[in-house]
Amino acid sequence: MNGRLLVQTIRWNRIRLLVLVLAGFGWGLLTPVIYSAFSDVFRDMANSGVIPEELMNFGSGSLLTLPGAITIGFQHPLALAFLGIFAVGTTTGAIAGERERGTLEVLLARPLSRRGLYTTVAVAVTLLIAIELVALLGGQLIGILFLGLTGDIDLGGLPLVFANGLLLWGAFAAFGLAASVSFDRHAPALGISLAYVLVNYFLEILGSLWTDVAWSQEYSLFHHFQPNELLTGAPDPIDFVILGAAVLIPVIYALVVFPRRDLAAPD
Amino acid sequence: MDNPPPIRTEGLTKHYGSVRALESLDLEVMPGEIFGFLGPNGAGKSTMIRTLLGYLHPTAGGASVLGLDIVEGSVEIRRRVGYLPGGIALYDSLSGADALAYLNDLQGRPPTRREELCDRLQMPASVLKRRVRDYSRGMRQKIGVIQALQHDPDLAILDEPTEGLDPLMQQAFYSIMDDLREAGRTIFFSSHVLSEVERVCDRVAIIRAGHLMALQHVDELLARRKRTINLRWRDGTPDLSSVPGLADVTVQGDRIRATLLGEVAPFVRAVASPQLLDLTIEPARLEEAFLEFYAEDEPAEALRQ
Repeated sequence: MNGRLLVQTIRWNRIRLLVLVLAGFGWGLLTPVIYSAFSDVFRDMANSGVIPEELMNFGSGSLLTLPGAITIGFQHPLALAFLGIFAVGTTTGAIAGERERGTLEVLLARPLSRRGLYTTVAVAVTLLIAIELVALLGGQLIGILFLGLTGDIDLGGLPLVFANGLLLWGAFAAFGLAASVSFDRHAPALGISLAYVLVNYFLEILGSLWTDVAWSQEYSLFHHFQPNELLTGAPDPIDFVILGAAVLIPVIYALVVFPRRDLAAPD
Repeated sequence: MDNPPPIRTEGLTKHYGSVRALESLDLEVMPGEIFGFLGPNGAGKSTMIRTLLGYLHPTAGGASVLGLDIVEGSVEIRRRVGYLPGGIALYDSLSGADALAYLNDLQGRPPTRREELCDRLQMPASVLKRRVRDYSRGMRQKIGVIQALQHDPDLAILDEPTEGLDPLMQQAFYSIMDDLREAGRTIFFSSHVLSEVERVCDRVAIIRAGHLMALQHVDELLARRKRTINLRWRDGTPDLSSVPGLADVTVQGDRIRATLLGEVAPFVRAVASPQLLDLTIEPARLEEAFLEFYAEDEPAEALRQ
């Protein structure tokens, strides 16, 4: 790993990071507010049968409990966008993008091994994702404390939620980096990584809204990010194992493939 | 123990599928020389450089740079080498000064030559403060040259270094090359601008379709080329029958035109007479040598099969 490259990579993302941290914190703050303001209304609607209970669920979350609302906060398209910018945008641009711009040529003229370059980018992206997750969780925690909702939730589970979220988005980032080392242009790397996230998301949401295909959720990485279970004191270690494997496989692929690739002159 | 040759290739071969970009290339670059690597676009120059620096993996054969194997010692090679890629791309969002500092930090050696190079290539602090995205092509190229040489590398590999430089800056660049040679640095210089190779380089390799066509001192290469002679002669024609290497003699009135291969002295002795009104001996040009290698019957594509 190269410290100077790490600092510069973070520096190049600092404005984006600042904006996303503020947005993530704001969104996190809103989650318990929405739960506090509307959960009784939602519960009444579900009990009256006006709206089927399935529609109170979104992914692995639920509007009827605070842990469920926290889960929705992480699985909402807004959170997806906040975290996806680093996990997909930054990763795919890091190598395929540099290659397309021709700057990888200058970078690799320095005494940097390709594995060192990969590791540095991976660490930088992990840090960015971790900071964004902390912002989201921090917003939620402050909202919970401010609204006095601590009785509805096991706050001791928050570090596990952080670790679980880091593994989920780390898996998407690892996939993005694997795509990035495999293509000479940014667009295909971005496209395939975005498709990977969206297919996972689709399987998760489809299964939650349509009970006949609830099995599809098992095939989504999002389904193994379970703040709901972690904040009610019922974690499932298998979720961590599956996400850990989803991180490791693309990492190993990239570490094997990237040093062996021929990097022809850029167009 | 003697220093190893800065660059040595042995049967270096690179194929892209069925395309043979480099075919069994053997060459040695000596310490302290400026070595020209000549060939038109697509001849294999950049492939050779990229293979030496570890961007490409050889299909067969091998090479060493500064005594280090190009596969095993790639990172250490790049620590000691300065590289200017052809058509360099830089980080547009950085200022020129920041780009140089960043690239040098990654290099891990003090930028002992930066100030001098900026001065000689006319890149004052006021220009270096501007963002790279606002630079002209020539200014980017100057930044490229400076980033390759600022850490005073043992070996500089420069791919088309004067591309985009104006004639004044080209002269400044040639003068930098001369100083580096005097300081004992080795430079591997890829170009298709023959006049600058002739001006700067000690030895040249000419490559065609991945094959090494010639590897010689520039002087030797030129000595084997024909000079063009134009003279004006009063009353008749001189007796040139005893001049070795003289050919293609044409006479038009008092003007005589011929070509000369080899020594000039016998010719000068033959025409040393009061009847000689004017004499011009045009120097042999590398261009002619180069074109000769490219004018051979076998087309480049056939060599790639």
